[in-house]
Amino acid sequence: MNSSKETQPEAAWNYAELLERVDNDQELLRELLTIFKEDFPRTMRSLESAVAASDLKNAARLSHTLKGMLSSLGATRAAQAASKIEELAFAGETVSLQGAFDALGCQTASLLPEIDAYMAEVRR
Amino acid sequence: MKILIADDEALSRRLLEKTLERAGYEVIAVENGKQALEELQKLNGPRLALLDWVMPEFDGPAVCRAVRTRSEQAYVYMVLLTSKGSKEETVLGLESGADDYLTKPFNAEELRARLRVGERILLLEDRLVEAREHMRFRATHDQLTSLLNRGAIMDLVTRELHRSRREQKSTVILLGDVDHFKQVNDTLGHVIGDEVLIEIANRLLGSVRSYDFVGRYGGEEFIVVLNNCDPNFATGRAEEIRKSISNRPIQTAKGPLNLTISIGMLLSSEWGPRTIEEILHDVDAALYEAKAAGRNCLRVIHPPASEEPLAAPVPQAVRLRR
Repeated sequence: MNSSKETQPEAAWNYAELLERVDNDQELLRELLTIFKEDFPRTMRSLESAVAASDLKNAARLSHTLKGMLSSLGATRAAQAASKIEELAFAGETVSLQGAFDALGCQTASLLPEIDAYMAEVRR
Repeated sequence: MKILIADDEALSRRLLEKTLERAGYEVIAVENGKQALEELQKLNGPRLALLDWVMPEFDGPAVCRAVRTRSEQAYVYMVLLTSKGSKEETVLGLESGADDYLTKPFNAEELRARLRVGERILLLEDRLVEAREHMRFRATHDQLTSLLNRGAIMDLVTRELHRSRREQKSTVILLGDVDHFKQVNDTLGHVIGDEVLIEIANRLLGSVRSYDFVGRYGGEEFIVVLNNCDPNFATGRAEEIRKSISNRPIQTAKGPLNLTISIGMLLSSEWGPRTIEEILHDVDAALYEAKAAGRNCLRVIHPPASEEPLAAPVPQAVRLRR
């Protein structure tokens, strides 16, 4: 039987996919999650400022970075939300940026708590 | 095998690094295009590269273009990593010089398979380079003795003569011919004749310095070029070379043979601006003199009397011989 985490359809990140990608290496998984916990909030804050300032160039760059780390983590829907911001920034659609950023915020809100929960669980 | 990863995003980079280390690669991970280019330009740098498309400094396609403009270095197999995936982007990436592209997030198995394709290409290139080097050797060396062949030695002599004129140094050209070689072939056969030529080639090579040249000029004729040789020592050096053949018998499958060579010699420093063909013609005349004088000896050719006065002073030893 699968663990409860994998069967929850609303999980923000696909734990099974990520575990497969790291070849079931729990240590590497923890290392990647630690990198994520550090880089993700920082990049989000920078993106938020760029969006607020209608800085299209940096909004495109930062959303691209977020898309990369989110898709590596297996957070597919959040990665799509970041991709949407990148597209809008490239297209110069300043007006829609804030809405797209908020959508990304919603998609990723549960991410860090989930990761923390997971890391606490494996530590036991 | 070394592989370069360039990705500015830490999570993806670490994941990629670990995946490749597991696959047995020696991974070099960098975080921008500039560092990637530096690594790829190093001597014995990685020949496989995974480059993220979007990076600070140079992006992936820019790195590909920069690497492809150099032609002298070994081929680098480059794979672009992209989350883009539209047809236009793919075409742009491949046109920039990338060999392949992978869409992120990558699948580990597909990644490894695509890198194996790269390794096959690199292996193919290695084999081609090896074959080319082999052909180059064959084109410039005599098959029997492995000495420089006539074409190659003529090119080298021409170059050395120009250099010695420019730098006012002396090049000594020796043309040696095995005495009574025809008798060896006629009485003992060509196989023994070949053995003799190989041994003579080895002795000639053994009697010169590493920066001198020895070539097979024709049948049993050999050219020795002593670069930057003091004219006062030229005769002594040539005599040593002559004795390297006569001082002990040559061992063959049909017993030892006592053989000698005759040598014609010319010093470039006293010869003025003549063509290589004229010079060789004159050395050949000196060789003929040596043969006529009874063989197993050395004769030096001197410039014709009508020659213009020389800019460089003629060395004492040469002046005395005139």
